[in-house]
Amino acid sequence: MKVVEINDVFKTYHDTEVEVKAVNGVTLSFEKGDFAVIVGPSGSGKTTLLNLIGGLDQPTAGEIIVAGHRLSELKPSELIDFRMEHVGFVFQSYNLIPVLTASENVGFIMSLQKWPKEKRMARTDEMLQSVGLSDRHKSRPAQLSGGQQQRVAVARALAPRPQFILADEPTANLDTKSAETLLDIMEKLNREEEMTFIFSTHDVRVMKRARRVITLEDGRVVSDERTNHHS
Amino acid sequence: MITSIAWKNVWRNRTRSLTVIAAVTVGVFAGVFAMAAINSSIVQRIDAAVNEELSHIQVNNPGFRGSSDIANVIAGPQKVVKVLDETPGVTHIAERIIVRGIASTSAGSAGVEITGIDVEKEQQMFTLNERLIPGTGSYFGTDTRLNSAFIGEKLAKELYIIRYILSEESFTTLEAEGVPAAVAAKLRPLENQRFTTEKKLTEAFSGLLTAKEAKLYGMKIKEAAWSYREGSKIILTFLDADGMQTGAAFRICGIFRTNNDFFEAMSLFVPRDELRRLTGMEEGQYHRIIARLEDNDQTDKASAAVKESLPGLEVMNWKQIQTDLAMIADYVNRIYGIFMVLILAALAFGIVNTMLMAVLERTRELGMLSAIGMNRRRVFSMIMLESIFLSIVGGFAGMAVSAIVIAITNHTGINLVKYAEGLEAFGYSAQLYPTIGADFFIMLTVMIVITGIISAIYPARKALQLNPVEALRGE
Amino acid sequence: MKNYQLAWRNLWRNKRRTLITAASVFFAVFFALIMRSFQLGVYAKMYRDVIESYSGYLQLQHTDYLDESSLDNGFVLEQSLTEVIEADPNVTGVIPKLESFALAAAGSRTQGVMVIGMDPDNEQKTLNIKNRLIKYRLTPEATEALKGERMTDRTARLLDVFSGEAWTDEKSFITDLGIRDDDSAAVMPLFREYASLDNRYLTSADSGRAVIGYGLSRYLSADIGDTLVVMGQGYHGVSAAGLFVIKGIVSMPNPEIDNAFVYITLADARYLYAAPGMVTSAIISIEETGDKDLLQTQQRLSAACNDRLVVRNWKEMNALLLNQMEADNKSGAIMIGILYLVIAFGVFGTVLMMMAERRREFGMLVSIGMQKRKLAGIVGMEMLFIGLLGVMAGIAASLPIVFYGYARPLRFTGEMAKMYEEYGFEPVMPMLLPDTYYLWQAVVVLLILLVAISFSVRRIFKLNIINALRA
Repeated sequence: MKVVEINDVFKTYHDTEVEVKAVNGVTLSFEKGDFAVIVGPSGSGKTTLLNLIGGLDQPTAGEIIVAGHRLSELKPSELIDFRMEHVGFVFQSYNLIPVLTASENVGFIMSLQKWPKEKRMARTDEMLQSVGLSDRHKSRPAQLSGGQQQRVAVARALAPRPQFILADEPTANLDTKSAETLLDIMEKLNREEEMTFIFSTHDVRVMKRARRVITLEDGRVVSDERTNHHS
Repeated sequence: MITSIAWKNVWRNRTRSLTVIAAVTVGVFAGVFAMAAINSSIVQRIDAAVNEELSHIQVNNPGFRGSSDIANVIAGPQKVVKVLDETPGVTHIAERIIVRGIASTSAGSAGVEITGIDVEKEQQMFTLNERLIPGTGSYFGTDTRLNSAFIGEKLAKELYIIRYILSEESFTTLEAEGVPAAVAAKLRPLENQRFTTEKKLTEAFSGLLTAKEAKLYGMKIKEAAWSYREGSKIILTFLDADGMQTGAAFRICGIFRTNNDFFEAMSLFVPRDELRRLTGMEEGQYHRIIARLEDNDQTDKASAAVKESLPGLEVMNWKQIQTDLAMIADYVNRIYGIFMVLILAALAFGIVNTMLMAVLERTRELGMLSAIGMNRRRVFSMIMLESIFLSIVGGFAGMAVSAIVIAITNHTGINLVKYAEGLEAFGYSAQLYPTIGADFFIMLTVMIVITGIISAIYPARKALQLNPVEALRGE
Repeated sequence: MKNYQLAWRNLWRNKRRTLITAASVFFAVFFALIMRSFQLGVYAKMYRDVIESYSGYLQLQHTDYLDESSLDNGFVLEQSLTEVIEADPNVTGVIPKLESFALAAAGSRTQGVMVIGMDPDNEQKTLNIKNRLIKYRLTPEATEALKGERMTDRTARLLDVFSGEAWTDEKSFITDLGIRDDDSAAVMPLFREYASLDNRYLTSADSGRAVIGYGLSRYLSADIGDTLVVMGQGYHGVSAAGLFVIKGIVSMPNPEIDNAFVYITLADARYLYAAPGMVTSAIISIEETGDKDLLQTQQRLSAACNDRLVVRNWKEMNALLLNQMEADNKSGAIMIGILYLVIAFGVFGTVLMMMAERRREFGMLVSIGMQKRKLAGIVGMEMLFIGLLGVMAGIAASLPIVFYGYARPLRFTGEMAKMYEEYGFEPVMPMLLPDTYYLWQAVVVLLILLVAISFSVRRIFKLNIINALRA
């Protein structure tokens, strides 16, 4: 089942007088359960493409369809609600709300969606357990290590069962052990919940685990390989 | 949930938030306390006016109030009494004879309004008898051959009836009041010297004491030297019923002291029957009939009712007689309302600055929130709530502090001795007992919340303008 | 680059914060100036009114007269003394005055009045009473008659509001009644017919004539041509009585005076009170009226008098008024003080924020070699500039309003006006032109800034570079 369809998408910036073609004609689609990585040198358009997929930005041309929604038809305010319901984000840093505890952070989007308290608490506990941080549920982000923060971020992104999770350089600030732990968890979730993961990264550790590697160069897809990796 | 996040956000930067909160606390406290001080002044004034000077309702012929024409007696006074009696809320009624004249002694004279009263009835209606200066006699207590008059201290001073003498008794009083023996000793040369005015006494003792001593003990010396020979006589001159100048000697039965210099200087009370006899007015003739109500709040309704039943007569309540009283409460409320708005506006600048900082340093976080799905309305509310919390915490702290200080000063009072002269000329006490109504606090809370909301508008807009993509890219 | 240039540029790095802080200072300064201008303007007017229409700047009196203002404390004004006083370089005139209390009656009404006896030709050179002759008056009869005539609705309505009022000049009459330029040609002749009066002033040759206050004339229902009966106590308690025909009516600014003003010639007063050759005081008019000259002149003239006489200045003579104005002054100052206090917190908050934000930068600058002294100086200058911006903006914004308020003072009408008059004040709020009080605002702001600057300077000197770089 196609989760994301990217049809001949372009994104052009006008940086003072220079025209930058960040995404220059990309056509891709992602299936449910994909564990895909988008790689490429700096300036290749990875982050931009990810932003477009997540509905953080609108393409200059082309169409992106997520779970049957045409993103171009959505107004900016509708995009926000769309993201809340369908997309999970894990950023490189600053993922969590500093004033909330781990479990409050995990439950944040569910609160926004007005889930009944019991359901929300149950799902929060479940997620924290999946990422192995049940014992730290009362801690604030400042009291957690970088790796632990990222795990909480994953738990939060996953909790409301989005269509897919977009992760932009999630391991960039982590040491190897934390990065490995994080990736283990993500793979596990991908297997158990059939959650689609789409990464943008230059971290080799991530690339090694991916089952699909999409290479971008100058805004275009230059290779799209599926591999069979086992963790 | 947004509410709890907003609350927690306020405390992220403790120092910054506390500075703003402290500012709000100080501003609110200052505004409320000042208001309470002024408010109490007015409340005191109104009480005095109603309970000592005017009572609640006054009925007389049209035109009498301006002219005090002796011939202008009320037609049909029994009807008036009946109407008043039947009006709900009326507790006491008294009839008066009023004549303009001159009071004089060998040393001075002054124009006065001579009011002939029914002593017993009026004692129940007014608290003026409680304002008797101890030692000056009584409120029409003693029996005397001559007519009795109850006059104000200001008038007594104008007629030079009150003098200042440092008698042996005065020195005993000084000792009892805690004036050091050394200082008292310096005053001995003035013993038994008669000073006709306070000023002369002051000049005399200022010459003998150091400036500091004079300042510290001056009041007490004046009070100790204050002397009045009980039963002093004055001559009252006025026109009688036939328009002929007439008069008589009166004995002062007592002197009263209020905070209203004007009232003290102009008013002179004598037994009604005596005045009637001297003016040659007929029995049952009165110039003015007054009524006391149970409660000040009944004033408008009661006087309107009386007015309707007595067309052709001038019926006025205390608010209409001393329009300034009703108006000044209004006027002062408005001025201090504006003052409070100014303070809150000044505070708003600080709040805006703080909120702006709080927003701009969270660009990445706000970008993240928007990315994961917090819509604009929620972001706006969050910022708005943070601002409201800042102002409310400061506001409540300020109100709490002011409530405590008001409670304390209400008990102990604030003394504005320096301005006593000027204040009392207008009828205001120089001793304030701050007080304020609860509804004022409610209105203030509303104003504070509004200040928080308005202060948040600009920072909130800035927060909404953030493009998540750019925000996420870097700070 | 000079220090101040650096400081100036630094200000604009965080444009919003700079502007908001400067705006708060502007706010406080602006309102403080407007409020003080009103307050001080009102005081100045009150003092001026009482001086010009009643007390004068200096008065020669018996030493006891200030406490006991009775005829018995009058004195004979020797010609020799008058000459000595007139010879003083600062003195422009001497006006002998005999005044006392009396009862005045017209018809069946009586009122306590102050009878003032002065020589009109002499007094006119100094006092401002002649200008107060009323030119227009809306008596009830006039109002009724005018209502029947043609005029704009607004003016017709205002007739009722102002019924019973009097005006000393045509301009304020026209303004108050809302008569526009294009209407005036049609409407003014009507008003002149019904509302003007044959008002004349006293001359020294007059005898048995009086000029009275408008309030008094209304109270007694006595008009020009009517006879006033005056009764009182003369010198040493002799009974005094006299008849005076009302020649003119003036509107005195202070309603308390206006309701009791009876002005007769000095000769008439002396005869009425059986006090030949006597005065109760002599008003001394002077050229230079500033406080310094006033006191010096007072001292000189007092020295020339014998033991029983003394020269008082207007402050001593109006001690009560001064006391009241001072109380009002203080309360106003307190209100402004509170406003500034609040702003001070705001400025302080800005300093705190700024210091926290730039800790790293400061650490970096000091570590690469900038003297802490220089850094503190730059930061101090930044604060100074912000304050100066606010102050100058506040002053600039206030000036047009103050000048306008000075030229066309705010006048109250209706209920407010009544209230003012009951307390004895004219219902006008003029503004005071820029004076030392403008300077005071700058001083206060400067003080606030100094506190803020000293705090920031201390912080900079206590800065630990390593910690700062880690921020």
